[in-house]
Amino acid sequence: MATETQETTAPADGGGGLPQFDAQWWPGQIVWFLIIFATMLVFVRVFAAPRVGDTIEARADKISGDIADARRLKDEAEAQAAAAAAETAQARAAAQRLAAEARAKAQAEVSARLAEEEAKLAEKGAVAEARIAKARDAAMANVAAIAADAAGAIVGKLTGRAASTAELTAARGS
Amino acid sequence: MANQPAIDPMEQFVVHKLVDLPPLHVGSLVIDMSITNSVASMIAGALILVAFFALAARREIVPNRGQAVAEALYNIIDRMLVRPILGEAGRPYVPYLFTLFLVILVLNLMSVLLAVFNVAGLNFTFAVTSQLAVTATLAVLTFFSVFILGFVKHGPKFLGLFFPSGMGVIGAILMAPIEMLSYFVRPVTLALRLFGNMLGGHVVMSLFGSFVVALGLLGLSGGIASLALVPSAFSFALIVALTGLELVVAVLQAFVFAALATVYLNEVVNFGHGH
Repeated sequence: MATETQETTAPADGGGGLPQFDAQWWPGQIVWFLIIFATMLVFVRVFAAPRVGDTIEARADKISGDIADARRLKDEAEAQAAAAAAETAQARAAAQRLAAEARAKAQAEVSARLAEEEAKLAEKGAVAEARIAKARDAAMANVAAIAADAAGAIVGKLTGRAASTAELTAARGS
Repeated sequence: MANQPAIDPMEQFVVHKLVDLPPLHVGSLVIDMSITNSVASMIAGALILVAFFALAARREIVPNRGQAVAEALYNIIDRMLVRPILGEAGRPYVPYLFTLFLVILVLNLMSVLLAVFNVAGLNFTFAVTSQLAVTATLAVLTFFSVFILGFVKHGPKFLGLFFPSGMGVIGAILMAPIEMLSYFVRPVTLALRLFGNMLGGHVVMSLFGSFVVALGLLGLSGGIASLALVPSAFSFALIVALTGLELVVAVLQAFVFAALATVYLNEVVNFGHGH
């Protein structure tokens, strides 16, 4: 089989040279190759290269975009966390201030009531003291009269004569 | 022995017609536009590329396997070549370099991978990139596109490429022919590198494949000849290893072609920045 092919093609080879150097097939191969290469060039330029190249670029853009998004979201979350912490601190300060105010107010009320009660008590004390002083004065006055009487009686018994009121009063004064 | 197939590793490169088509007349030139096995392979490669990208070039943020492969291929050109070498100014050239890479890659890989279907006398594979006509077309197309782009972008100043700075007048006159020679030899090296790599790999694979069959048949004839089964098995093991190597070469040569095209483009795109 193969021997026959060789016999039939051998003269076309130009006698033992490489079959590639058989000029008979050059023009056809060149023209066909140019046509096919041009077709492939159009195909690659219009379809294959832009499609594949754009997809690769789109993927790179998507990855870098996603990373940027993630970074931005992280920054946002951190900012929100910081804001929340600040808010909490503010609320705590406000609560503490409110508590202190309430405490001060209660304190003031208590001391006011205390002062009021104390004033009331002091007033009552003063009234009682005045009454006591009056009673004592009255009692003391009675004591003087009784003493004068007793002194007159004693004097009368001792001297036989009654002492005058003026003398008695003078004696009491000494 | 008479019915043994002859070992002819070059037979796989023979172009032959599959479908007759009317020739194209360009002036006095008559171009045979028939579909040959070479042209059929080119068309198959193009269809594979279109089908692959139609299925794989999806717009998912999380790619599936196909999309990951498509993106990896794109990044070989975009991230490994264009950005580091050309910078942002190289963006418009990504489609051309990507096409260059994909076309060479698919044709190289097809010529190795589809060989599994070459059984029972069928021949599905044809190494298009081991046809000098094709690699030369690619090289000349790439080289002159870059060269013409240089003149379009920079005008006659672009000829300064051949006059290294800081050489003085006499030095420049002496150096210019050498610079020019090394510049215009580029398409030749581009074409021959790809052609030679694919040709060599396929010849070696074909040779060892022939050894497997020839020595195997000899071994099966019995007697002392059975010993021939040992080198036959060895050749088979070698061909498995060679297939792996050829897959690496297939990818590497596509990459090298695109990388050199990028380097040549760099002289135009960043002209005057690194000279």
